[in-house]
Amino acid sequence: MPTLLNLMIFTPLIGALLCLVAPSKQAAKSIALVVSVVTLAMSLVLAAQYDYHAGGVQFESAMMWIKGINVEYRTGMDGLSLPLIVLTTALSVLVVAASWNIEKMTKAFMALYLFLYTGMLGVFLSLDMVLFYVFFEVSLLPMYFLIGIWGGPRKEYAAIKFFLYTLAGSICLLVVMLGLYHITPNAADSGGKPIWNMMTLQSDSVHALFAKGGTYWVFAQWAFWLTLVAFLIKLPAVPFHTWLPDAHVEAPTPISMILAGVLLKMGGYAMMRITWPFFPDSARLFWVCVATLGVIAIIYGALCAMAQSDWKKLVAYSSVSHMGYVTLGLAVLTRTGFDGAYFQMIAHGITSAMMFFMVGVVYERAHHREIDRLGGIWLKWPGYGGWSLLCFFAGMGLPGLCGFIGEIMVLLGTFEAVGHGAGHTTIVYTLGVLAAFGVVLTAGYILWMFQRVYMGLPKPDYDHYEPVNTREYAIMTVLGVLALVFGIVPMIVFHATGVTFNHLFAMLAVQ
Amino acid sequence: MPHSIITLMLIALLAPLVSSTVCILATRRLLFKGAGYLTTAVMAGALACSIIALFTWLGTPVDQRHALVLNIPWIPLPGFGPGHALYLGILADPLTMAMMPMVTGISTLVHIYSIGYMHGDKRYNLFFAYLSLFTFSMLGIVLANSVIMLFVFWELVGLTSYLLIGFWFEKRGPQLACKKAFVMNRIGDAGFLVGFGILFYKLGGAMLLPATADSGSMFNVLANVLAAEGHSLANPPLWLTVAGIGLFFGAIGKSAQFPLHTWLPDAMEGPTPVSSIVHSATMVAAGVYLTGRIYPILTPGAHLFISTIGLVTLVMAAFMAMVMTDIKRVLAYSTLSQLGYMVLGMGVGAWTFALFHLITHAFFKCCLFQCSGSVIHAAHHQQDMRHYGGLGKKMPITMACYAICTLAIAGASIPFTTIAMSGFFSKDGIIAGSISYGDVMAHAGYLGKLFWLGPIVIAYVTPFYMGRSFALTFLGKPRDQHLHDHAHEAPLAMWFPQVCLAIMAIASGYLGWKTLILGSEAPMLAQGVAAIIPGEVIEAHHSHGMHMTHALLLSGFGWIIALGAGILMYVPGMAISSRIVKIPGVNLLYTWALNKFYFDALYDVFTVSMGKFVAVVCAAVDKYLVDGLVNLAGSTVREIAMLSGKVDKHIVDGGVNGVAAMAQGAGDMLRSTQPGKIRIYVLMFFSSAALVTLLVVISAIALR
Repeated sequence: MPTLLNLMIFTPLIGALLCLVAPSKQAAKSIALVVSVVTLAMSLVLAAQYDYHAGGVQFESAMMWIKGINVEYRTGMDGLSLPLIVLTTALSVLVVAASWNIEKMTKAFMALYLFLYTGMLGVFLSLDMVLFYVFFEVSLLPMYFLIGIWGGPRKEYAAIKFFLYTLAGSICLLVVMLGLYHITPNAADSGGKPIWNMMTLQSDSVHALFAKGGTYWVFAQWAFWLTLVAFLIKLPAVPFHTWLPDAHVEAPTPISMILAGVLLKMGGYAMMRITWPFFPDSARLFWVCVATLGVIAIIYGALCAMAQSDWKKLVAYSSVSHMGYVTLGLAVLTRTGFDGAYFQMIAHGITSAMMFFMVGVVYERAHHREIDRLGGIWLKWPGYGGWSLLCFFAGMGLPGLCGFIGEIMVLLGTFEAVGHGAGHTTIVYTLGVLAAFGVVLTAGYILWMFQRVYMGLPKPDYDHYEPVNTREYAIMTVLGVLALVFGIVPMIVFHATGVTFNHLFAMLAVQ
Repeated sequence: MPHSIITLMLIALLAPLVSSTVCILATRRLLFKGAGYLTTAVMAGALACSIIALFTWLGTPVDQRHALVLNIPWIPLPGFGPGHALYLGILADPLTMAMMPMVTGISTLVHIYSIGYMHGDKRYNLFFAYLSLFTFSMLGIVLANSVIMLFVFWELVGLTSYLLIGFWFEKRGPQLACKKAFVMNRIGDAGFLVGFGILFYKLGGAMLLPATADSGSMFNVLANVLAAEGHSLANPPLWLTVAGIGLFFGAIGKSAQFPLHTWLPDAMEGPTPVSSIVHSATMVAAGVYLTGRIYPILTPGAHLFISTIGLVTLVMAAFMAMVMTDIKRVLAYSTLSQLGYMVLGMGVGAWTFALFHLITHAFFKCCLFQCSGSVIHAAHHQQDMRHYGGLGKKMPITMACYAICTLAIAGASIPFTTIAMSGFFSKDGIIAGSISYGDVMAHAGYLGKLFWLGPIVIAYVTPFYMGRSFALTFLGKPRDQHLHDHAHEAPLAMWFPQVCLAIMAIASGYLGWKTLILGSEAPMLAQGVAAIIPGEVIEAHHSHGMHMTHALLLSGFGWIIALGAGILMYVPGMAISSRIVKIPGVNLLYTWALNKFYFDALYDVFTVSMGKFVAVVCAAVDKYLVDGLVNLAGSTVREIAMLSGKVDKHIVDGGVNGVAAMAQGAGDMLRSTQPGKIRIYVLMFFSSAALVTLLVVISAIALR
């Protein structure tokens, strides 16, 4: 099984090289599709083989990589990565299907996409800090090219902005890694070598170094914020979010899907894997600040979304708002909030990918995204309108659809944080009330958009639009059904994460 | 206690969902006109299930009637210990038993009515799919076993009402109305979520509703929590009052109470069958039902809040109903006013009568809307009563049904007997409760007396505006001859449900009185409520008998006087009233009421416009400030780079000019590899990536 796991990481890379030498565009597409289906199958085999009762890291494999500084090639899967891996591989098939009509340099597109795919899988599966960093960076470059070459009119600006923003985050992370390099050899059972194993970095011996009042307490506080900023940029959270609307607006549809569906999740995942478990005492110290950032993102993102006239930008800002729930849920340090934040990532992976796809379907025919120039789409394509309704209401957090579970759990978890006491009661109630008020704003901007785009009579210039084809219906059906299934049976995710989170949250709980 | 009841309830709940899904998925060609018959038949099946369940329930000896519960864990809550969860499921207790036949019955009749009313609509199938889905959502609320399930279906009611109100979304009116309904409801939901959150934290995630001795019930947990805190419901902590009011905010939204009432009259933009079901068995009923369900957590403070909201809505809406000329709007404001009665009843502790009124009101209001739909249908979609008059001769069945329901809503009775229409039984119970609550609150000053005065005054206003609408529509001379000439009786599919509902409007009062009030008055609920109910409200229950007599004396004859006045004044049309509204003072009130007390204008300015303004400000901040800083940082770095580039070129490079010449030669060579083609860049990217990978592998092996 460990072999299969490693094979899964590098299968897309092999596919990328094959795409480059593919004889035709069609062949490159077929290679990409086969590769993503094979990878999906691999991830499903891994999910089936995973022992859910035992939880924890499984299918682990390790090999010394850079001996001098004790860096290993170490991979493995646990409850935290498993649902995200399945999400990534499942979305990937849909993304390849959604890029079926890319005609500009198809081979290069598919190759870069598959290269990115390896990066994403690597981020979720690596258990060594340096390896994680490498994959984190590896996912950056292909994205730069994918936006910069296949993007819209301002693609260069958007691509460089995306790149520099994320790079700034990476530098924060690198600084922390330098610190870890110097400090971790002091841990009790390190053997005088730096520790990069992410599981050992969450062990009691390392925690002792970073504990409140410990030798490296000041470093731990700085490191908490530096890693947090690195991942908040990726998430993104206000005020580190302005790369996102530009990147989304310029990116081609399939790239928007993977960007919102998976790449943003790398930020949330990394917070759950690194920031919180490495520096739990810092998290306990700063939780109110971080929770406030989350609430600001929810409200501010929703308000910004409301003011957009560009349909895709509206959806992009909705991502900012929805990711605010992830920050909030993590920050409040309650199990309900933590579970909710994780579920929100999975749910948003489905709904945001679907939303961007829905926008893409219309954009491809209308060649513009001005909300006020659209209208009456529902009558034009009733089936597409129906799926759009489901998709946007899932994003709004309607019960029975996947967006609801994460939102409600984060909200309930926030109120639960009143139990942390220590004079924060008023602040926590205020945060809870504001977050609850966020649902009104969300309903506001989504319904207003829905009214302007879908309701009313079709415009005369729709006449020459080609109908929504079977491939497009297939993609939205899969995503829509997923949104329904996860909304009705949230246990699927919690079953996978349960035991792992029991261990993980034990060190985060407020004593 | 046979567990078949749970099975029956499950079937009744899920059957409409299945038929609705079938109608959505099957294409129009496949189902043709079958959608109407299919969903109606399924809904009738659900009605049959509910009735069988009710009789099974009534057939069991009283001491064996336990609430039946089905709990299915939905969202695990390991934070509160292993095995804890938020549950979905079914709760079958007397309240559910009473509500189920009403909801499914009215829904069945509305389905039948829609077969006639929606005939020929181009989205005929979809309408029935939505209607069944709407009923499914309402049934979910009625059967909910926990607060989370209540909220889930609460929101689904929101979604389906959005779809139904906006069913004719080609037109602008329905677009705005459905959006308004949903957003207004969401404002209430935000309050609900706050209340939910507080309770969730305080009760450790125990959100199950059954008011039995079940240890999982939130009411038992609450009693323990209060005891541990040294509080009780009579002397409650602040958080409990806030939580109760928060949950009630949800009801304010759904039951369209002041100040979130403005969506309901606008919801008239939906097809009339939608109005008839929204205003009776579903949606608006949900808020009152919710208040009834969470009743045991309501503190005296929450009671005061709820009864005040109810009283304000009751009075305000009744005045608006007096001046409207659109027949559907009169009925809409009448619904608001009647909901005010129910909410007031909840607030003052007349729990049974509030829910009783919910049931009786559902029948006569549904009938009134269907009658108005038939009239509008016959009058070529003219809804203004000033164009009607004398339609009774053309549509005798509709007139009879409307007359019966007018008597029912007016609370007609033959004094000093129990021969009465349904509204009489339920409304006077609420008035009596309000009178005794007014007595209790009178120690707080004369404002307390308003609880005494308000409901009685409105008991006179209600028959007046109903008499007005009846006279304007069916009596007198035709005011629009053309319209009158073309008017005709509604088709069978439309008058049949009207007649059924009219019969229920007569019968439901007496039947309900016998079974719900005098009979086994939901013993478990009464016990569950009595266990933690505040003392003064119990007192209100005790003194009910005496105040019942007061209520009868004060309002028992009201229907004769006010109904008579309303009919007499409006038989000749608007002539008399147009003179009355010119009287100084009255004209002011008239203008206010006609403009809906300016709530819509107020909300437009203070919420919609300000919301949009704040949104635009945020977007501008994002674009110019946040992004401006980012761009500034970018351009600063670039300027510095340019500067150092110049330094490099002119100063450092000065000495290296000789080398440059050589570099130029090398550059020419390299240029061939950089033709500015992206294809080549990508290739180079991959080759260097491959090279790096190779190096990494080699170094790994070498350093081993």
